[in-house]
Amino acid sequence: MEEIKNNQQLGKEIGKTSATDRDPNTSDRFVFWLAPYVIVNPFDIVEVEQVSHEGTSKTYGLVTTLEHRTDAPSHLANYISSNFGELTEDPNTPRQGTTVAYVNVLSNDKDIYMPVQSEKVVRFADESSIQVALGIDTMNEKDRIPAGLIKMSNGVSAVAYVDRRYILGPESAHVNISGISGLATKTSYAMFLIQSILQKTPENEKSKIAVILLNVKHGDLLTIDQRRDKDFSTEEMEMWESLGLTPEPFPSDRVHYYLPRGRDGKRPNSFLEPGFYDIYAYDLDYSADKLDLLFAQIPDTYSTLESIISEIKEGLRNNEPDFRNVHSWTNLLSGPPLFDPETRSAVREWRNIKASSIGVFRRHMRRMVQVGQSGIFVDARAAREKALSEEMLKIEGGHIYVVDIARLQEYEQMLVFGDLLKSIYSLKADPPDDRKTPIPEKVIFFVDELNKYAPAGPKPSPLTELVLEIAERGRSLGVILISAQQFMSAVHPRVTGNCATKVIGRSGSAEVLSPDYRFLDNEIKSNVTRLSKGELLLSHAIYRQPVKIVFPKPPFRQQEF
Amino acid sequence: MPNPLSFLSQYTNLLAKEIKILPATGGAVEDMQHPDPEEIEDLIINKDTKTITAFAETPEPDPQNIYRATPPLGRKQNHLYKFFIDGSIKTYFLGTGIEGQRSFPIELAQVGAALIKREDDGKLKVAQRKQKVLFLLPKQNQGISDTLWAQLNQLSKPEWLDLVDFTIPDILSENRSDPRDKAGAKARAHMHNLEIDLIKYTDQFRNENCWLILDGAVKFVEEEIWHSWKSKPYVIGVAKSFRKDPIFQFGPRVSQRKDISSILAGLPYAHRTVAFSTFDDKVAFWYVRIREQKNLDYPLMGVIKVEMPRPNKELIDAGLADLLSRALVAERNVTPYGLDRRWHCSLYPIHIAEQVIKNKFYSKEVLLGCIRWPIPYNKEK
Repeated sequence: MEEIKNNQQLGKEIGKTSATDRDPNTSDRFVFWLAPYVIVNPFDIVEVEQVSHEGTSKTYGLVTTLEHRTDAPSHLANYISSNFGELTEDPNTPRQGTTVAYVNVLSNDKDIYMPVQSEKVVRFADESSIQVALGIDTMNEKDRIPAGLIKMSNGVSAVAYVDRRYILGPESAHVNISGISGLATKTSYAMFLIQSILQKTPENEKSKIAVILLNVKHGDLLTIDQRRDKDFSTEEMEMWESLGLTPEPFPSDRVHYYLPRGRDGKRPNSFLEPGFYDIYAYDLDYSADKLDLLFAQIPDTYSTLESIISEIKEGLRNNEPDFRNVHSWTNLLSGPPLFDPETRSAVREWRNIKASSIGVFRRHMRRMVQVGQSGIFVDARAAREKALSEEMLKIEGGHIYVVDIARLQEYEQMLVFGDLLKSIYSLKADPPDDRKTPIPEKVIFFVDELNKYAPAGPKPSPLTELVLEIAERGRSLGVILISAQQFMSAVHPRVTGNCATKVIGRSGSAEVLSPDYRFLDNEIKSNVTRLSKGELLLSHAIYRQPVKIVFPKPPFRQQEF
Repeated sequence: MPNPLSFLSQYTNLLAKEIKILPATGGAVEDMQHPDPEEIEDLIINKDTKTITAFAETPEPDPQNIYRATPPLGRKQNHLYKFFIDGSIKTYFLGTGIEGQRSFPIELAQVGAALIKREDDGKLKVAQRKQKVLFLLPKQNQGISDTLWAQLNQLSKPEWLDLVDFTIPDILSENRSDPRDKAGAKARAHMHNLEIDLIKYTDQFRNENCWLILDGAVKFVEEEIWHSWKSKPYVIGVAKSFRKDPIFQFGPRVSQRKDISSILAGLPYAHRTVAFSTFDDKVAFWYVRIREQKNLDYPLMGVIKVEMPRPNKELIDAGLADLLSRALVAERNVTPYGLDRRWHCSLYPIHIAEQVIKNKFYSKEVLLGCIRWPIPYNKEK
């Protein structure tokens, strides 16, 4: 038994392939039985000898499920074999049985996809074989980004590299992370991936990548420049070393925090205040062209609200006579052209829009920017209160911009998110003439709870349209979306469909059965429901099958709960 | 991959060239096994012994009390049985040969035997396995001519193949009249020969703590090996099916006469009958009930027949028979319920030995791949 265990440790023989009349091996999958005492788990990567034009080749596969089979034709046979249900019965000869592993073919090192023959010895793949199996060996060294560690049952681990050209373009782009894997796991992974991208980018290229992070929960991302309180354990340090990364927080001189203005204007409306930050606020001038974003969640069956918003946007932009005296939210809501101060009621009719519709618009607007607002809407911004759209036009490569929206109302969050997307999109598509410094070639945009901003549904809101624009055409402009949400099915399928890399944490069985997970085999879907906290499934454009990875805890401070 | 049985085509080609062949439907037809070949063997081997009159154990049993308690003694208390042998057979009818005025069946058989070793932790290993393919033809006045037989023998054949004349008498086949039955019985005799080879292999290991169980009767074993066993062979035969017609006569009076059904119906669970003597006193046999009757349909279910060779005709010690029976009762689980209709009296390692052999037999597809009679033939021989 010891010898068998040792063989397992050294990655030696663990079983033999088996093809039967009813269960044949195919080009896509094969089956092997396990030798006694061998431990194999789903997502282990194995190798087996295959034919070749010259000599032999190796076929690599990913274990998807394991079954224990015995020669009992029915459960009744087992009941009877236990002396008709005696719990204490100890049979003289244990029933013959074996564990059978089902394997999805990953690749063959000589591109031979003949079915694996029966009776071939199966071994655990070693580190270099795992990389061949996944196609990592075909990636250029400079394009390899560590995306996590693959840990096998025999103790062997290998770095799961993803190809930069498939994360940041030009081949494909975007990353989507989903799952209910645990507190801050998705955010932590996104931060790990961003850190990995930045650390593995050559120095002269780093200044071409800017990162914008949206902090949507607590103060998760408001301390990314500060070292974590606890030292890393030896295991965690080993994981960082294996990945070839340095566990360091983001440099303070490169991080910028933008916090929303509070109601009193003195303090920001955030869960915590970093050591340095700027405050942002919205006055009418900088919001006029984004009013539609505020109405993203308000039903507008006959598009009357859309017409009013459109008239106002045009009126303000063209400085039409009606809007000459409209310079603030108060002007807009309590003065002409929408409100008659003398009668103290909405105007009867304006540009063929009826008073009732104008009244509805005003009520919504008053609720959003005056009565119910969190403090970001001001009639006039103070000197230290920044307009985000202006700030985004100034972003520099090599810097990280964190925009806090955690304590904002939902419609305010949509406005901010949409504002950032619009600003970045216009910066890349139509750069300002007066800009002196180069525009970052790549802008990585991270947002959690994407389902809020781009929900699945037949009629996309203006905000969803913006997200779709980024997902479908952002790659050509260098705008990369790293997004996360609990349920992929809740996000617009055109957004997730455009993500070349998908990361999935533990998910419920009902969720993984939705059509958004069609890219996973049924066996892998059932494994997704069993992933532990910190374990993720990585599906990358280069890989033929998704792999299970682990990743280290963030090196920066995180809020304790 | 070439067909492993492709050599057979040399035989079929030669036969088709020299004699007229009426091929079996589809090239070959598997001969159905008789439901209880062991019972038939028991009948044939013991045809001269219909009435059992003598006990074979010491101290002399009381004819009024012929049952002895044998509570199960598991492997963990005393691992007595470590070797198990079973053989298996598959026969196929290939066609009818017509040479001159004689017509006869042409048969093919796959025979094999496996020796299973059970380790002390209960795990089973295949210690040895033997397998043969038999091409069965009748010779002499019942079958093919001497010339053709000689021609067939001149073909250089591989080691796994035997050309067998099924008219040569042996204890199993000489009582059969139908030539296809005769061929089947001859193949069965060859299967026993393979089992005997495996028994010899275990000679070096067997002792009072390491016994061998054969599936079925021990009486098929050749005399030669009986001599080598001397007084203590450490072998028993366990039969799941046995003849139901012997009469037990324990005294001169009619009231002292019992039939096997009444004896076995009264045999309680985890008990054995006393040992009886048969086969010219060279074999002791007794019956053991290994399952409770309440779980079974008929009183004779759950009973096995144990045969123990005693080459020097010594009475066996009742304590030893008890010990062997107790260990046999413990062998009742696990059971091949659903895989073998005789699961109630089956010993699992024996079942595994049978599976080992059957799974190594060539499939019908492989067999048919090489049985291609070059016909139709209309020529006159």
